[in-house]
Amino acid sequence: MVAQHQNWTALREAETARMLAACTRCGECFRACPMIAHAPAAQGADGATIIGGVLDLLQGGAGDAASRAWTSACTRSGVCVPACPEAVNPMLMLRLAKFRAQESGSLPPRDARDAMARVKTFARLTMTEDEWERWQ
Amino acid sequence: MTQDLFWYGCNMTRHAEIIRLSERLMAALGTPAQPVGGPATCCGSVKESTPRIAEGMANRTMDRFNESGAARVITWCPSCHSNLDDFMGAARTQRFDHLHLAQAVLERSDALTPLMTQRFAARVMLDRHIGNRTGVNEAVPALMRLVPGVTVLEDEYRAPSYMCFGLANVPGALPAHKERLVAAARAAGADTIVTIFHSCHRELVVLERTHGIRVLNWVHVLAEGLGWHYADEYKAWRNSDDPEAAIGAERIAAAGEDAVRKLAVPELARPR
Repeated sequence: MVAQHQNWTALREAETARMLAACTRCGECFRACPMIAHAPAAQGADGATIIGGVLDLLQGGAGDAASRAWTSACTRSGVCVPACPEAVNPMLMLRLAKFRAQESGSLPPRDARDAMARVKTFARLTMTEDEWERWQ
Repeated sequence: MTQDLFWYGCNMTRHAEIIRLSERLMAALGTPAQPVGGPATCCGSVKESTPRIAEGMANRTMDRFNESGAARVITWCPSCHSNLDDFMGAARTQRFDHLHLAQAVLERSDALTPLMTQRFAARVMLDRHIGNRTGVNEAVPALMRLVPGVTVLEDEYRAPSYMCFGLANVPGALPAHKERLVAAARAAGADTIVTIFHSCHRELVVLERTHGIRVLNWVHVLAEGLGWHYADEYKAWRNSDDPEAAIGAERIAAAGEDAVRKLAVPELARPR
């Protein structure tokens, strides 16, 4: 399978451009989302407004409180994908918006400083030396 | 032909017995797969807050897989699987097919069925999530039905996200899921909750202590039917009152006391 993009930056730019062109801000993705119950700042938001905020995050803007809360609460359930009448893939849209928001400082980055050290520590606890050697 | 790779991801190092059983299972089915994972074979999702770093890690993994000559990469982790679909394979030529372990095992169900010689009495409720694109929500119950004595109970409930890790990062979401899942299990008369992914297993094993219901991973259930011994040490440690004592001083020393106390024990001792 041949790569469609030169790198992740090109992929993100192409997808962002496609999403900005295709999204009509109808809000169907927001209404379908099962995580709204766990995103208080997004509850009751107007669909068009919150999608506008997500599109702003996607382009490096700060969005608004509701769009930041919804983007943070996205756990990639994917219910939004078939709900979108324009085949935007809102799940990927929110993921790319989160990437951009974390880069711009609009959302805090995930603290993964110890993640790999923890992976190695558990490996030393649960695996034999031979297994860890063979399984890396 | 180079044998398949079993890409177990990174956080599966907590559950070495599942890797061990999976390797043995694929060999027993006539389709051996070499386990590969850990930080050197990362999909990048752990570092996705910094996409530039995530991309570098993912590219290194793609190059390694491509250079291996393996015809298939058999996935375990749904984050790795979706990163391969959405990013890694879109920005790097992919010279292998990929599918989830549950699908790879189900493909060999003709070989698996005669090996299921042990009866394992269990009425199981699966921890299924909405967001899975790996085919596991269909493949795992089909596999469970191959184990003599196992009854798979159905319920319409599907948790948000694609595994429990996502819910753990959203305040209130994981406790809500646990309560809803246990309620569904009890309403259906289940005595066992079966997890599909490692992060779900990591989060749900505590239900044995908090709610008195058995929690197994689907690979454990297959091992029961095969009569293969295993020990779920993570569950034992997580549900113990004193994880350090449960692990044992000798093993802690061998793994590095400072690292174990800083990185593993706090996770094992956190509130249930």
